Parts: sequence; C-alpha cells; structure tokens
Amino acid sequence: MVKYVLKRLASSVVTLAIVITIVFVLLRQMPIEGYFDNFEKLSEAQINAKLANLGLTQPIPVQLKQFFVNLLHGDLGTSSRYSAGTPIAGIIAQKAPLSIWMGLMSMAISLVMGIPLGAAMARSKSGFWDKFGTVFIVFINAVPAAVYYIFIQMYGTGWMGISMLFDRNNWITWILPVFSMSLGSTASYAMWIRRYMLDELNKDYVRLARAKGVSSKKIMMRHVFRNAFVPMIQYIPASILYTISGSIYIESLYSVPGMGGLLVDVIGRQDNPMVQALVMLYSAIGIIGLLLGDLLMGVIDPRISFVKKEGAR
Amino acid sequence: MKGLFDAKKRGLEENITAAVKGDLPPVNEDELFTLADYDAAAAEKTGYSNYSYWRSTLNAFLHNRAAVAMLIVLALLLAFTIIQPFLPNQYGANTINNNPVTGIQLQNQSPSLTTVYAAVPDGTKLIGRRMDEEWYAVSNVLATIKARETITVVEYGENWCRIEYKDLEGYVKNNFQTKLKLPEDPTATPYESRSSFPLSIYQEPEDYTNAGEALYARASSIAEAEDGAVVTVGETELRTIPSDKPFLFGTNNIGQDLWARVWSGTRTSLWIGFVVGLFEALIGIMIGIVWGYVRALDRIITEIYNVLDNIPNTIILILISYIMRPGIGTLIFAMSLTRWLGMARFIRNQIVIIRDRDYNLASRCLGTSTGRIMMRNLLPYLVSVIMLRMALAIPGAIGSEVFITYIGLGLSVDTPSLGNLINEGRKLITSASLRYQLIFPAVVLSVITISFYIIGNAFADAADPKNHL
Repeated sequence: MVKYVLKRLASSVVTLAIVITIVFVLLRQMPIEGYFDNFEKLSEAQINAKLANLGLTQPIPVQLKQFFVNLLHGDLGTSSRYSAGTPIAGIIAQKAPLSIWMGLMSMAISLVMGIPLGAAMARSKSGFWDKFGTVFIVFINAVPAAVYYIFIQMYGTGWMGISMLFDRNNWITWILPVFSMSLGSTASYAMWIRRYMLDELNKDYVRLARAKGVSSKKIMMRHVFRNAFVPMIQYIPASILYTISGSIYIESLYSVPGMGGLLVDVIGRQDNPMVQALVMLYSAIGIIGLLLGDLLMGVIDPRISFVKKEGAR
Repeated sequence: MKGLFDAKKRGLEENITAAVKGDLPPVNEDELFTLADYDAAAAEKTGYSNYSYWRSTLNAFLHNRAAVAMLIVLALLLAFTIIQPFLPNQYGANTINNNPVTGIQLQNQSPSLTTVYAAVPDGTKLIGRRMDEEWYAVSNVLATIKARETITVVEYGENWCRIEYKDLEGYVKNNFQTKLKLPEDPTATPYESRSSFPLSIYQEPEDYTNAGEALYARASSIAEAEDGAVVTVGETELRTIPSDKPFLFGTNNIGQDLWARVWSGTRTSLWIGFVVGLFEALIGIMIGIVWGYVRALDRIITEIYNVLDNIPNTIILILISYIMRPGIGTLIFAMSLTRWLGMARFIRNQIVIIRDRDYNLASRCLGTSTGRIMMRNLLPYLVSVIMLRMALAIPGAIGSEVFITYIGLGLSVDTPSLGNLINEGRKLITSASLRYQLIFPAVVLSVITISFYIIGNAFADAADPKNHL
C-alpha cells in the first residue's frame, strides 16, 4: 500500500511538472505584442529592453529552469497588467479562500442532493423518481452549463427578489451560485449511484437476502447502497474537475471575487504571468483531485489491491 | 432463426390437424425405414440465420419511441437550417437593417410573425404623410398633450375615454399609465381630469400606432384628403415597418435580424461539432488501434495518456484559445486536442478484450483475413460507442464553444454562432423586454444538444449486440 501511494504520488508530481512545462512553453509562443499596451508606438530598443526586463529574451530552457527554481521558492512571478508589479502568489492567496469555500459547499450540496436522488431512482425503477431523475440528468448533461447557469441567474434572482451580483456578507446571495455550481456533480452522482445500485441488485446475495425474507428497505440500505457507494467514492474528488469549469463561469457571472472570475479577468486583460499561474494552479487542482480519488478508493475498498498480478493484462 | 422455427411449427401443426381429421395420406411402411439421401441444402438449413447486424440495430432503435421522435425533430431542424438561406424573404445574418424610410436602425424590434399591425377598412381617415414613393407614415393620433394638462372627459369608458381638449375632440386610453382621475361618479360626465403622464389623443377608440411611433401603409392604398388628412382606399394593412418581411425573432441592438443570425449560428456551431466529432473518431480510432494492437507501444502510450488525461479539458481549451488567433479553426483544434483521448482508450480496451477471444482465434484459424475479422468481429462491438461519442461530440463542442465565447476567447460577432448569440443575449438579461435575444438562441441550442444526446445514447444501446435479442 505504502509503495503504491508513493508511486502514485511520484507519477502525479511528474505529470504536474510535465503539464507546467507544456503550459510554460505554449505561452511563450504568443506573439510579443501581447506584452505591450502601445506596441506600435515603441521603438525596437524599447521593446527589447522591456522584453529583457521580463526575462523573455533568454532561451526557453533557461527561462523554464528559472521558473521552476522560483516556483520551488513559492514565487509565481508578478502580475503585469491586472495589478502591475504585485506578486501573483499574494493575489491568489487573497482570492483563493472564497473559491475553496464555494467549491466545498457545492460539493457537499451535490452529494446531499445527488446520492438520495440516485438511490430513489434505483428504488423506483421506471417510476416517478426514475423518470424525473433521467430527465434531470439528460438535461444537465446535454445542455451546456453556461445556458442553464444564465437562466438560473436570470429567473432565480428575479424570483428571490435579490440582486444579480454576489455579496460576501449577504448569505442569500450565496445560494444561487453554490446551487448552480453543484448541479453538474449532482447529475453525475445520481447517474453513477443508480447504475451501481442496479448492478448490485442483480447479484446473487441480494436474491438470497430476499429469499431469507429480509425486508426490501433493509436490503437497499444495508447491502445494496453500501456496496454501491464504494465505487462512487472515486468520483467525489474527480468532481473537482466539474467544479473548476463551473467556478470559472459562476464566479464571473455573479462577480464573485474568487479565482475563477480572476481567470476570466486576466484573460481579458492579457496578463500573461497571471494566466500562466492560474492555468497551472487549476491543472494542479485537477491532478490532485484524481490522485485523491485513487488513494481514497484504496483506503475504502479492501478488495482493491495495488500489487500487479503476474501475467494479467 | 425465428422464420425457420415458425415454418417447422406450421408443418407440425398441419400434420397434427391432418392426423386428427384422419385424412393423412396412406404411408408406405417400407419407405419409413429406408435411409434418407444426403441433402446438402437440408444440412445447411439449421445453420442458417437471417440475423443482420444493421437490421437488428435499426429495429432496436425504432423501438425507442422518444429517440425516434427526437430524430424526426432533429432531422427537420437540420434540414431547415440548411435550406433557410435559400428561402424567400430572408434577411442577411450580418446585415444591419435600417428603416428604409427614416434611415434609423431597427434596433431591438420585438419578435413578431408579421409586420401587419392592423387592417383598417375602406375610407378610414388617418393622419399621415408621404415618406417616399411607396410608403406613407400614418397614425390616428390627433395630438399629444403634456402631462398635467386639464382635459374634459365627455364620456367615460373602461378602456377609452372620449375627451375634449381645447378645440380637439378624441379618445384617450384609460389604463394604469394614463390614470385618468376618477370623480366619485364617473358616469356623471362631463368632468375635468388630468393625467400625470403625457397623453395621446386618438381619433377613434383604437390605437393605430406602433407603441407611439407611426405605422406604415402602402401609397397605393392611400388617398390624400383636402384637410391634410389621408383616407384609405380599400382594405389597408398598417405595418410596423415599411416592409413585408417580418423579424420573426426580432432584431438585436444594432438592427440585425435575430432569426437569420440564429440559423446562421446553428450552421456554424453544427459545423464545428461535426468536424470535432470526425476528428475525434479518426484520431481516436487510429491511436486506439495502434495502442491496442502494438504491444510494444502499450506502455509508452499509456503513460502519455495518463499525463494528458490528468489536465482538465477546460484548461487546455482556454490555453489554446488564448494563444491562437480566435476563429473556427482555433476552436476546432482546441477541442480536437483533448476529445480523442476517451475514444482512443475505449477502442484500445475493446481491442485488447476482443482480439484474443476464442471466436476470433477460430476465425483466424479458419483463415479469415484480418480485415474481415476487423469488420465482422470487432467493428460491431465498437460501432456503438464510436457513434455515441460522435453524437455526443456535437453537444460537447457546442458547450465548449459557448464557454470559450463566454470568457471572451471565442468567435467574433461577425461570425454568428450559438455561443456568441447566447453571450450577446446574456448581456441583456437585466431588461425583461429584451430577454428574447437570449431565449431564442438558448432554446434552439437546447433542442439540438438534447436531441443529439438522446439519439446518441439510444443508438449506442441499439447498436450493442447484447441488446439484439
């Protein structure tokens, strides 16, 4: 187990390093105009001086090495346009807590809504809940998130009689953003728990329990649900990935002062160092999410062994 | 299989019926105990099956009523999207429409099925003036008076009040906006009243204006009277704009026809979706086959896959769109860059599972060519998911496009797409009367994505040979 964890951790670190390298190299392919406000007016000497100042005239491997050294010291560089000269790490540290709170709250809500929905769907196969859940899942999966987010904002705020913008100190304004953000994960939890429960229901031990006269409710809660929950665990951290794209939308729709809105902001202003830092950060969150999912699976389900079986493919 | 079984059953039934009736032909005892001749055709009989993969798939699909209904809706929608520009009376998607008479942009016109506002009978007197060769601007507003002017109500009515004001006599609307102050007994007319809003005095208890603006009538059906008024000749249609072509979905804030833009945008978005789906299938299948078949490459490709699969797709989309120049090509490239991953992994897993199965081994031993094994033994297992993923690529691509446009890296408004139409509409959500600019593209987009999603899933179920029973 320890060996597996270390190996999985090492591979995540390597992946992260590769991703950072890719992002870094790709961003250096941008046309240099992007670094200037008034490119046409500047002389060549001024341009070169500015580029040299930003460290962009050096060969890419040198820049990359410098970047990694800085990164290990916790230095993500300084913002160029969004808030010129401010260390990026500071800006992010200031914005991150709100995003993390919102992400965690939406994950909790999607668990609270998605799992009972999926269980109800499995219990009432082709009954009301199953049909309702299917329509919900199809809708959420098929219609682009942007569209229903906008409609929720438009009608939700009108119906609740509140402003369309987020206010950190007014708890009512938290409801709609967090709820919207949780919908994607809710649908995926409901879908998976339903599928796993139906799989379990067809197994022999359920038939035996039923033959013994165990009540249907008890079979569902004690056996089916518990067993179905195990493979579900791996999707919980993976739903961080959903929350990432959700938060980018939601935060800028409701003007939440978090990291997602920040990303949209800095893209609009072409602040390259900020884009670079945020893109890397989001990739890191995704990688960590998947890593946690794998590790959690190993902790929870003793049947899963990480020792490679000889000769098995 | 079923046909054969039925034939046997029928034969047996006939024999039994005949035996019961007692009119079985006489049997030669010797004939019953002679050896039958070898009949090649009879030997083949039991081995015959009229199972056809595609027919069974089609049958299974047709059983899913919701999917068939969606398919019809989608087919009609797609056909309409393609033929829309060739229909008569269409506006251009990027044309900025001006009122041909006044030259003012037709901004934010509400959606309507027709430009006809009202039809008035022969001989109706209106106030109007000639605008150009073809059109008259007309209305029945005699005058507009300022707020808080005193008027005399001659006759009180629920919706219209007959009033006198100086030397004018006409009707004013009696609604929540004009708020004609009621005396204790409104039937006791005349009484004096005033409104806190400006009032329009109409000639008849009928509003022949386009929310206060003049209506348009064709010059051919208007005759000028002596006193400056005009009289209609024959039944006359009063139009909101001097044109026969209505704005079915209204216009946007610079006077572009939303109907034309929505269909043009649908074409753009579907085109992106189809191309992305095609690339996904091509790249995914090629890499998947190499991954599954060439054992030496398995390890390397798996490692590359693990790295790529760990990066959130959204991030790659943002990064590529940020670096490259915005355009359809960039969008297609950015989406294709990640979507093939899932397809390749699926193909690889299936090939690894299926290629060494006994029936494939048997086929190979019998000398079946690799191509035929691929086509007959492997493809049926793969086709369902290939089709599913291609169908899902379209809603996926449309969704990604909406996202990229939203964060400001998508197509410019000169290339209408469902993404930028929704994004343009989103900016207007604070104004309830302009929400149609968001709702129309959003509804078209939802119909397309939902039907592709349902059809894709239904087809995947139908194409799975396990469901062909």
